[in-house]
Amino acid sequence: MNSRRASYTLGFGVALLALLAGSVLAASWLSPDDPLAMNVGARLQQPSMEHWLGTDRFGRDILTRTLHGGQTTLISCGLALLSAVLIGLLLGALAGMFHGSLFDIALMRIIDVLLAFPFMVFAMVIAALFGTSLFHLLLAVVVVWWVGFARLTRSLVLQAKNSTTVDAARVLGTSKSVILFRELLPQAFGPVLVLATFELGNLILAIAALSFLGLGSQPPSPEWGSMLADGRAHFMTSPHVLLGPALWIILTVLAFNCIGEGLRDRIDPYEKARIG
Amino acid sequence: MGRRLLITVLQMLITVFVASLVLFALIRLAPGDPAKLLIGRTMEIAWDAAAYETTLNELREEMGLNGSVFSQYVSWIGSLLQLDLGTSFYTDRSVAAEIGERLPSTLLLAGTALIIQTVIGLLVGILSAVHSGTWFDTVVRLLCVGLASVPGFVIGLVLLLVLAVQMGVYEISSQAALSRLWLPALTMGLLGAPQVVRVVRANLLSELGQVYIQSALSRGLGSTRAVGHAMRNVLLPTITLMGLSFTSYISGAVVIESVFAWPGLGEYALNGILHKDYPALQGYALVMVLSVVVIHLMVEALYVWLDPRMMRRKKEAAHE
Repeated sequence: MNSRRASYTLGFGVALLALLAGSVLAASWLSPDDPLAMNVGARLQQPSMEHWLGTDRFGRDILTRTLHGGQTTLISCGLALLSAVLIGLLLGALAGMFHGSLFDIALMRIIDVLLAFPFMVFAMVIAALFGTSLFHLLLAVVVVWWVGFARLTRSLVLQAKNSTTVDAARVLGTSKSVILFRELLPQAFGPVLVLATFELGNLILAIAALSFLGLGSQPPSPEWGSMLADGRAHFMTSPHVLLGPALWIILTVLAFNCIGEGLRDRIDPYEKARIG
Repeated sequence: MGRRLLITVLQMLITVFVASLVLFALIRLAPGDPAKLLIGRTMEIAWDAAAYETTLNELREEMGLNGSVFSQYVSWIGSLLQLDLGTSFYTDRSVAAEIGERLPSTLLLAGTALIIQTVIGLLVGILSAVHSGTWFDTVVRLLCVGLASVPGFVIGLVLLLVLAVQMGVYEISSQAALSRLWLPALTMGLLGAPQVVRVVRANLLSELGQVYIQSALSRGLGSTRAVGHAMRNVLLPTITLMGLSFTSYISGAVVIESVFAWPGLGEYALNGILHKDYPALQGYALVMVLSVVVIHLMVEALYVWLDPRMMRRKKEAAHE
């Protein structure tokens, strides 16, 4: 029963993600209009057959901009998360391998300090003072986001270290790096993947929120966050301006959340309480 | 006990110190010159380059921007020890006073949201654990996943559109009036509730499967009382989550505060960023880091008080 539900959830998430990614990647084929082309005569038009999601304040087609903008948003968020995962894996694994060493202690103190920074404050300071751009925003995110992966990897490596397979490898004289890559990291892979799926959704939400405040990518580039910031002023009179980016963000995050739920149930049902 | 407390407080102070140092350095090393920004605003100075330079230098001196970052930090810490957070570059008022004016509205919003979130979360979480596997549980699960996928500002904007613009039951202004509290608090509470539901449901389910509950039930204890017994053990993870939520509400309220024009600390920080108001930003960051650390400490203290076993476990851990 439970595992069937997990497969449904996973399947739904993957299908939804495929659909969204497809729509975004095929943007220039699905909607050949220029996402930057302005048409002052057609400002803030309601959704119609011609403009499915209406037009923005410069008369640009919102659906076109949403699809084109998705490329920037999804690729940059994905890259940011990937960097955070890699940094976290590396540092966490090293700290776990050399448990109790100076490196381990220093890393844990750094993590403590980073955890005391409220993420929003940190991101705001970096993104705003170093110039509001999507790149600075992503940089700020990576600086904070690796912490969760480092902690998870470290604890998984510490657990795996005491297993008999690792003892056996050590007795056979296998070098530390081989043990790390052959024995320890593969065991960390599943839980880290689950966490990464959820965190990608959270990261997209965080980027969207900060962009909404005007700290992300700047107009006129079509990017979901900057479209949100741009449409904000007109939302109360023409609510449709936010529909495109908001809908795509919600569905994307939903897809990742479903994939995460499905994977978590499948990889280890007993991990539930610990990771989530 | 006394020694442990001392160590915790010391660790806390070190964390705050390091965090403040890092933030200070980041803020001060950022490109851009707040003095130039200020000059552009206060005087339509003649296009006399030499006069401009002198005025700029005087202003930088006055704003304390001329020394090295390290000496700037030392003087900041020096005045901090006298509870002086400096003067805002932009409004020329004491930062401590400005933060003092805004902190209550942020705390009020965060506190109310926390209560709403906890009440909804406990109620729905308990119900869905007790009725696990039924349609109710499934609907709650779906709602939780769905709600966790929606950006907070989207919910806020939609509520604002419907309740304020279309139905006119919510007043649009920029005041921190009690009559304006419910909508932002409700938005934040709704956004946070799924997490609580999850934690309560998962922990209560595993607790209900324990032997002590089974034996209590088999001895004829009513199921409501049994849930009551189990809840005692569910409270601990719930409190941890509440602590985390509260910190994220205080700092993350920026977005909701901005949507509802709630004059809290978030708005203050956004203005500070806009005007490169270093003292204001530093004060804000310090207050944020302090509140995170203090809330952590309170959660830890609550833990020990609620569950005396923690004390022993801690002691054992300390001896290892």
